[in-house]
Amino acid sequence: MTSITIPTLETERLILRGWRNSDFDGYAELIGDASSTFIGGPLSREDAWRKMATLAGHWTLRGFGSFVIEEKSGGAFAGYCGPWFPLGFPEQELGWGLVAASRGKGIATEAVTCVRRHVYDQLKWPTAVSFIAPQNTPSLRVAERLKARLDGTTEIRGKMCQIWRHPSPSELATQR
Amino acid sequence: MTSAIPTLETERLILRPWTPADAAPFAIMCADAELMRYVGGVMDQTNAWRRMAVYVGHWTLRGYGPWALQDKASGQLAGYSGVYDPDGWPEREINWGLARPFLGRGLVTEAATRVRTYAYETLGFKTIVSCIDMDNKPSQAVAVRLGAKLDRTVPFLGSQFGVFRHLPPGVVP
Repeated sequence: MTSITIPTLETERLILRGWRNSDFDGYAELIGDASSTFIGGPLSREDAWRKMATLAGHWTLRGFGSFVIEEKSGGAFAGYCGPWFPLGFPEQELGWGLVAASRGKGIATEAVTCVRRHVYDQLKWPTAVSFIAPQNTPSLRVAERLKARLDGTTEIRGKMCQIWRHPSPSELATQR
Repeated sequence: MTSAIPTLETERLILRPWTPADAAPFAIMCADAELMRYVGGVMDQTNAWRRMAVYVGHWTLRGYGPWALQDKASGQLAGYSGVYDPDGWPEREINWGLARPFLGRGLVTEAATRVRTYAYETLGFKTIVSCIDMDNKPSQAVAVRLGAKLDRTVPFLGSQFGVFRHLPPGVVP
């Protein structure tokens, strides 16, 4: 047997946990939405299942991966956030995506703040970026709110993206 | 949350969990036009990595999935086989694929036989199929060698697929 243990993280309003098959309806809605073009969508349900399996499998192959975001009140699938580093990516990034019902409430900022601390404290990442398409206004706002800084551009799977570099572990420590 | 993948053994193969080191040999398989002809076509390295991640994540989501097949003699990745059931699949199936150096030695039959036993005895399945492109004669020959019979054909993934139903539990030798 080999196994991987995925930690559960907690913030004021959110539970961040590993992927379950029961997350599929929520994820299929998220990645099937017309607004998901910046995170690899929109995808059919069939392709959505495989994409979700990729996110889950990433944990075993890399030893880290993205978390499901669950809202404490109601327990609904709100989206996902966290490390994403498939083969071919220029560097380790923190990504996120939310279902429509969970947008506009500061959930992405709250979730990414928590996983950013996790990758610095537990995984010892020296730095972290988020790759964001220049047209993806909502995510650009989240990056700004997280005090990330524009640090050039790069091509991700044929699309030009901005590199938003997060404050380093030591910069975050002085902000605390 | 923990997900565990068991390791199984046959005479010549180890059915084991995927590791990061499988990415390179798996990418070579996925770049082989002849091997990939009926299973989605050739893929570059980055998409091969994602396909491998799908197999791994399948275990997390379903509790079963495709194993990496390791050739005992050489220690190399020989291919994959397991219980595959992504959303939208006609039925839960036994899937398989071999790397080029391992073709033509009955290794798929050996692996799939073990997977079938696992599906019946460990997972408690009452039935299982293999979904095979009707033009994929080599894989159909494996299904027939395993005792499976064509149950029906379905339009699937832009092609016509045969649903080959395996021997039921109890009948299996």
